[in-house]
Amino acid sequence: MSNLANIGAQIALIVLIVLLAPCVWRMVRARHAAERLQAIDLLTTLLIGIVVVLAVVEGVAFLVDIGIALAAFSFIGTLAVARYLSEGGLF
Amino acid sequence: MLLHELLGLAALFFGVTFSVIGVVGMLRFPDVYTRLHASGKVSTLGLWGILLGAALLLEGAFPRALALAVFLVLVQPIASHAIAAAARCSGVPMALSFRDDMPPLETPSATPEQP
Repeated sequence: MSNLANIGAQIALIVLIVLLAPCVWRMVRARHAAERLQAIDLLTTLLIGIVVVLAVVEGVAFLVDIGIALAAFSFIGTLAVARYLSEGGLF
Repeated sequence: MLLHELLGLAALFFGVTFSVIGVVGMLRFPDVYTRLHASGKVSTLGLWGILLGAALLLEGAFPRALALAVFLVLVQPIASHAIAAAARCSGVPMALSFRDDMPPLETPSATPEQP
């Protein structure tokens, strides 16, 4: 990977990390539990993007596997909390 | 600077641009139901652009990025629907709604106010 591509990937990484701050602010200032759940869902989505861009910057391909695991766990967590909010229990 | 690196950088910045748009929508939309529109953009288009850029820029990342993209397009709409159902059933009010076609909820704390 050339030098310019590496610099571009680092700029993308910095922009994605800066984007985490409004989501944290939205999570802290939420008025309902569903808003907080939604902010955490967007936060983990951005974290998957950060992990993938970090794999590009470092040049290590198996860091994308961590993104797959993070997507699976965030889906399970979101679904569990959403079921808890809507039906009062997991089962 | 090869051609596939140029295309990869373009796809990467496409995805980052959609992530910025989604987070700005997350800040500016008034309630949960409209913010789901913005966060859905980040989880499909934004991450697809980033994954396409990673598949073009990084050797050996294509099958993993393809697996992650297929998993995301199967899973994120289910998560968005679960968030909307949780918000509706726990009684989060809609902002600026002219009419609500859903029937009112049974629990007295969660009933939306009638006009």
